[in-house]
This record gives sequence, structure tokens and C-alpha cells, in this order.
Amino acid sequence: MKLKNVAAVGTLALATALALSACASGSSSSGTPDASTTPTTAAIDYSALAGTITAGGSSAQANAQAAWVTAFTAQAKGVTINYDKSQGSGGGVTNWLAGSYDFAGSDSPLKAEQQTSAQTLCGPGGALNLPIYLDGVAVIYNLAGVKDLNLSSATIAKIFSLQITTWNDPAIAADNPGVTLPSTAITTVTRSDGSGTTTNFTNYLSQTQPSIWTNAPGNAWPIAGSSAQQGGSGVVNTVKAGDGTIGYADHSAIGELTSANIQVGTGTDFVPFSAEGASNAFTEAAATQDTGIKGDLAQKIDYTKITDADAYPIPLISYAILCTTFADSTQAELTKSYISFVASEVGQQVAAKNAGSAPIPADMQAEIATSLELIK
Amino acid sequence: MVILAGVALFLIIQAIPAIMADWPSNSDLNEGPTAGYANFWTYVGPLIWGTLFSAAIALVIGAPIAIGIALFISHYAPRRLAGILGYLVDLLAAVPSIVFGLWGIIVIRPFLLPLSDWLNTYLGWIPLFGGQVSTTGSTILAGGVVLAVMILPIITSISREIFLQTPRLHEEAALALGATKWEMIKMAVFPYGRSGVISATLLGLGRALGETMAIALIISPAILVSVRMLTEGENSQTIAANIALNFPIATTLQREALIGTGLLLFVISLVVNMLARVIAGRAGAGAKRKRSKMMAQLPPSDPSTVLAVDDVLARKAAAGHTEGADVAEPEIDAEEADAGVSGPFVADDRPADSTEKRQGDDA
Repeated sequence: MKLKNVAAVGTLALATALALSACASGSSSSGTPDASTTPTTAAIDYSALAGTITAGGSSAQANAQAAWVTAFTAQAKGVTINYDKSQGSGGGVTNWLAGSYDFAGSDSPLKAEQQTSAQTLCGPGGALNLPIYLDGVAVIYNLAGVKDLNLSSATIAKIFSLQITTWNDPAIAADNPGVTLPSTAITTVTRSDGSGTTTNFTNYLSQTQPSIWTNAPGNAWPIAGSSAQQGGSGVVNTVKAGDGTIGYADHSAIGELTSANIQVGTGTDFVPFSAEGASNAFTEAAATQDTGIKGDLAQKIDYTKITDADAYPIPLISYAILCTTFADSTQAELTKSYISFVASEVGQQVAAKNAGSAPIPADMQAEIATSLELIK
Repeated sequence: MVILAGVALFLIIQAIPAIMADWPSNSDLNEGPTAGYANFWTYVGPLIWGTLFSAAIALVIGAPIAIGIALFISHYAPRRLAGILGYLVDLLAAVPSIVFGLWGIIVIRPFLLPLSDWLNTYLGWIPLFGGQVSTTGSTILAGGVVLAVMILPIITSISREIFLQTPRLHEEAALALGATKWEMIKMAVFPYGRSGVISATLLGLGRALGETMAIALIISPAILVSVRMLTEGENSQTIAANIALNFPIATTLQREALIGTGLLLFVISLVVNMLARVIAGRAGAGAKRKRSKMMAQLPPSDPSTVLAVDDVLARKAAAGHTEGADVAEPEIDAEEADAGVSGPFVADDRPADSTEKRQGDDA
């Protein structure tokens, strides 16, 4: 499974390289980009930096982090960056709170009590949640004879709460006029491990269809009866291997599987995933939460606000979490430089090309840059 | 011992906050993987069941095969084949569990699908095979089959050694009295090796209980108590796989809850292993060795003497042994009363090379 994942990443990296007509040799093993694919318009000179940044957390960010690290260290030759994706979001935050990390990668912003305990680490200035990674949750399926599938949010909620059990259900047929649907039984495929993807997906379901999806959103799948698989790649492989299967995964991880077109809002438009779509959705639906911390950019997504036909309805945001005040000012400078690179247009393009993510909108990039000014 | 105590202490200290916490009102524990449980015990209960159930499936499938292989290696296979076979089975122990997991996903899952359908259609009235049959194959049955393969080497290698230790005189006596080879094994090898085989099986059980990656990869889990083996959504999660799957995302207190489940797994494994030791020790190697030494001093040509001595020894020996010896004798008598043709025939048929083989093994 891991191997397949790596292979998929490798293929992606390779495809990217081909698309860019640039040389991306040696990128097959970890999806790390070749520095030559990076636009060389970086205004800031990082070459004077030296030191080591230690970080870890979200595995959703892993491919993007690998791309950023390669691109950044190509310019800042004296810098070593270790991003440990094995920790997951929870472990990343825990280790960061313990003082082991310069920043944590997390699929959800700090909770109020985590923010409080962060103040013992960071001082009264607290910690910043910076949305540096944007992607979409894809609804993937494998159904013989059906290559193009439209799903409304209500239908998705019914399918995943096991209220619809066969593919020729009238609800699915209503979303797909003119498509012949087989009577195959539906097997929903979900995550068996705790995951930020699950958090985003259940958030989407409970916000858009609260009457159908009655479970509280969370990082663990709440309903027994689905085929629960380990990791995004486990879901992808199981969907691929079965017939009549449907699941959800980070868009960047789905490989050659087809993902459904999702209904935006309550209208009649069904939108496939696209990087622009995710960026547009972010612009439409994400609002900065007031956490009482100056410069904090923790986002609250209101999925019901995504109504435009050019926005993808299920965006996924992941954060870098770091202190406003570092114990060591050189370390602060170093981490700040890295995150500002990550959140720059160049950094976002690097991730989009190498990890298949969507760039965060320009105004949010500017806000992140402003917030980073506060770090010392 | 110190390490064991240290591990236990670590688990207890780490787990106590979660065990003591009030789950529904705790903001850490009422969300994510630990959401919706009244307290620690309602969370861990189904996990314990899942752990025991999957291990039991593995044992039911794996133990008979393992013992069969052990017997084949020790008593049936030609010497050269026995060596290779034993080596191959031992080699299974060296395969990492993640590889078994991948093998389970890619090979075993689809392989078992037709069997699952068949069992569900025709034997679905048995709760074990009931429910909505899985279409992807991520069932606890698939997990159990892979676990069974994983515990094969442990059970096989220990059982094989035990079987090889059966005193030759017992075997020869049985054969001389007209037993067929299989009867000889039933009368001489099994009673002698029974405690050893049981402890080997329990060691295999210990392995199955703690297995993590293969289970985490193959089974589609849910935290509930279920005996259904062929469903997609009703496979009881095991403790070890649950820890592996949820640890990365867990918050501090959730981690402590997971460590608490680990503590219980530790206790279960400890009990199983101690049970294995007790059983192995009771009819322990010491008594056996003494006994076989005494056997060796007797003239090998006189089966009646052997049996007589055996009888005396049996009375002295621990309860487990008496049974075997006592059962064996009437059976031999019955066989003789049959005045079977098989008696002398089998005695003659005894493989000539097996004496050499045994001596070789002893050396």
C-alpha cells in the first residue's frame, strides 16, 4: 500500500515534470521536486541562513512539505529541515507543545485549551495558526460502466450514513439524468485511523446536511458499517479493488481513480475538483476566527457559503502552528523565513506542482506575511 | 524482570489519567476516536473482545495446521525434506508483519471472497457467517487467516522439537505391539508431547494477540462486540491495531486512553504467556529428560519392560501424564485382541532409516 502510494507520488511528480518540460529526475522515491522546476523569481535571498528546523505533524502536508523543503534548501544551502510526518496532526501539536518542534503541521487549528497551554511555551503572545496548505477532499468511486458521476451533498450524506444502499437508488438517479446506474450494492470506504481528511469531510456533511448527517464532526469516522481502511492510500486502494465502492480521500492522493462531481450549494451545478476550484472555495467560505491572538489566522469554513459554480465544495485546509515569540531569536528568524517561503506565491506553486495541492489565495498569502512579521 | 516491571509501571502511570477521567464531559475524550464512550471500560471492552476473537480465529485455523506440519516433519517426511521444510517454516517467522499485511490485502482478501460468499449463502444462519457479506474482503476472517500463517512458525518449531523428543522406546514399543504408524503417534507421541504442544499453541496465541500491522492493514474495524466473520462493518477492532491507527492523531489524553488499552493487552499477553510456562513447566522438561534417560538404560528389545516401567513412572509423574499412559494401554490391548494383520506388518514396515535419523538428531 505504502509502495503504491510512493509509486503514485512518483508518477505524479514525473507527470508534473513532463508537463513542465523540465527535468525532474530523482524525484520518484519521495515526491521531492527538482529545484529546477522552481521559478527563480524569489525576491528574498535565503542564502545567508544557516541552522536546523525541526517540525512534524500532519501527513496530509507531507508531500508538500517535502517539496517545500527541497525548494527552500536549494536556495538556503546552510539550512536543514526535518519534517516528521509519522506523528500525524495530534502528535505534531503534542510534540510542539512540549517544545520539541519549531512548528507543527496540523489539519485543525489549536483548540482553546491548547492555545492556553501554548502560552506557557510561547509567552503571552500565544501561537499562530497559519493556513499554508489547501487541497480538496475528493469523493472517489469505482462503479463498472459509470465514468462520470454527479452527487449532491444530500446524496453523499445519505450514502455515507448508509441510508442509500444500492447504486440505482432514485436519489442518485436524480443527480445523474440519462446515466444508467447498475443495481450494485454500495460499499462505503472510510478511514480506520484518525485523520484530518475525515474531520474536513464530516464537517462538510454536518454543515451542509445537518438533518441527514446527524453525527458530530471529528477525526474518527463515526458510523460502523463501512469498510474502514488505514490511511488515504488504504481507502484509495480498496475503492480501486472493489466494485460499487465509494470513499473519500485527499485529492492529491487519489491516483487514476475518478472522483465525483460535487453539487455546489443547493443549485444544479456539479463541479469536479480543480486547484482553482479549491482556491475559490477558500475565498468564498473561509473566515478568520477571532481567537484573541493577534495575527492568528485560524480559519472557520462555512461550507454552505460555497455556491459559485467555479468553487469546489469540499476544500481541505492544513496549518502550520508556531509561536509568536521563540525562545531563540535566530531560530525564530529561520522558521519565519521558511514559513514565509512556504506561504509565498512561489512556495504555493511548488506545492501545487509537486504535491497536487491548490495554492492559497493571494490575499491570504498577504495576511500570512503580515502575521509572520509579528514573530520574534 | 526489571524491564517488565518498568514497562508495566510506565503503562500504569500513563494510563491512569484516562482511566480515571470522566469521559463524556472531558473535552479531549468526548471527540475523535474516543468519542461516545461512558468510561474507559466501555471503550476497552469491545477491543478486548476483538483481540481475543481474532486471535482465536487464528488459533483455530493455524494450530491444527502447525501441529500437522510439525508431525510431518518429525515423523513422516524423509530426512532431507524434513530439514528443508523445517527451515522454510522457520523462515516464515522472519517475514515482517507489514509484509504479511500487504500480502493479506493484495492476495488473501480477494482470495477469500468466493469462500465468504459461499459460507454466507449456505451457512449464513450460523452467527459467525451471518450479516451483510463483505465485497472488499476486509474481514476479520482474512485477518485471522493471515494471523494463522504468522503464528505457524512458532507453533510448528516448538511442536516439532517436542515430537522429536518422544522416547524411541515408547514409539518402538507401540509399533512392536502392532500399532500402525498413526496409532503409534496417537499412543506415544501425542501423550508425551501434549503439554509442550499446548504451551507452543499458547505462545502462538500470545503472538496473535499482540499482532498489529497486519491486522491494521487488512481488517475494516469497528469498535463493537461481534462474532460475525464475513462482514465489512462488523469486525471487532483489536487493541494493538486500534493503538496503531489512532495514536498519531490522538491528543494527549486520548493517547493516555490508548496506552490504557495497551496496559490491558499487556496483562492479557502476560497471562497467556504465564499459562504457557506453567503448562510447559508442569510436565516439564526436567521430568521428561530423567524419564527418557531411564528408558535409554533399558534393553531396547523388550517392549513389555518398557511399558511396565512406563506404568510405574506414569504413576509417579504429574497428573497430565498418567492420563496419557493409562489411555494408551487399553488401546494397545484392544488392538492385540483384534489379532490384527496390521500388527506385525506395521512393525516390519517401520522405516529403517528412522533410527539413524533419531541418533543424528540426538547428536
